[in-house]
Amino acid sequence: MGRIDIKQDLKALNNQIAAENREKFAANGVYVINVMGSPGSGKTTFLENVLPHLSSKLKTAVIEGDLATQNDAKRIEKTGVTAIQINTGGGCHLDAQMIEKQLEKLALESLDLLVIENVGNLVCPASFDLGEDMRMVILSIAEGDDKPLKYPVAFLNADVAVITKIDLAPYIDADVAAMRRNIGEINPKVAVFEAGMKNGVYSADEVTAYILGQAEKKQQQR
Amino acid sequence: MHETALMQNLLNTVYKAVENRNVVRVNRVILSVGQLSNALPDALSFAFRAMTQQGIMKDAQLVIKQTPATARCESCGGEFPVEGFPIVCPSCGSSSFSIMSGDEVYIESIDCEED
Repeated sequence: MGRIDIKQDLKALNNQIAAENREKFAANGVYVINVMGSPGSGKTTFLENVLPHLSSKLKTAVIEGDLATQNDAKRIEKTGVTAIQINTGGGCHLDAQMIEKQLEKLALESLDLLVIENVGNLVCPASFDLGEDMRMVILSIAEGDDKPLKYPVAFLNADVAVITKIDLAPYIDADVAAMRRNIGEINPKVAVFEAGMKNGVYSADEVTAYILGQAEKKQQQR
Repeated sequence: MHETALMQNLLNTVYKAVENRNVVRVNRVILSVGQLSNALPDALSFAFRAMTQQGIMKDAQLVIKQTPATARCESCGGEFPVEGFPIVCPSCGSSSFSIMSGDEVYIESIDCEED
């Protein structure tokens, strides 16, 4: 019996395509955000509210990932931003190749910002690099303030976390400060922001300003 | 949850590795699975069994070695195994770290019979 050494990571192909995507984004000065979070955490609602403020300053497009339906792409297009829907069938995450296939439709040279809304799932998307600059986790306070401790890898790999639905905190047994502490316990480097309804208006000004700042930094590095 | 996709990559990688050899049977596949990979050993084993019902990999055994994650301390530069959260450097107590390894699903080697 013989032994053959293989020494290859099963995610090597994904990582290679992600690196190629990243090069294309860099060559065209496109800042890319990979938005991850549980189903129902408020990812699409967050984007619907934040995109108008981003697209007024940056030429923006969105890739929407879901198992089925065009619903989210339609919601995004109502904000005036171009959206492409990927349906994964049963796939639990987007991978680098799915993104690569969409790039031709996007005319990268005329974009400044690409937002990719991953499949609603706090586990698998964290393990697949797409070529993004920023990994953003959206989690709602309604999911419970110990959520970061229960799904550590998503937060370990994140750059930014946005706690949504903070206006619901008084009605449920969950504490925004505790959720912030729990994110910091997994990864102290995550920049944490809050979003939710304030006096009848969706409020996410700080994270919007942060995204604009990061995207501008990338353009200046070009 | 994506263990089946990982297993498909495993099969492709194994078939590629044996393509110019006269392998009649693969007996064992040795796989390293990192603590932070989000890949469940039980689900990997199940997918492996389901996907190796025929051909040279029929009845092959999947050996999974679980590997701990490692981090590098950004204060003192030391490397240390991650043993849970919060991640704190055992040498200097700093909680400023970079993850060095732990998300891999890595085929080390295969044992096979050649004609």
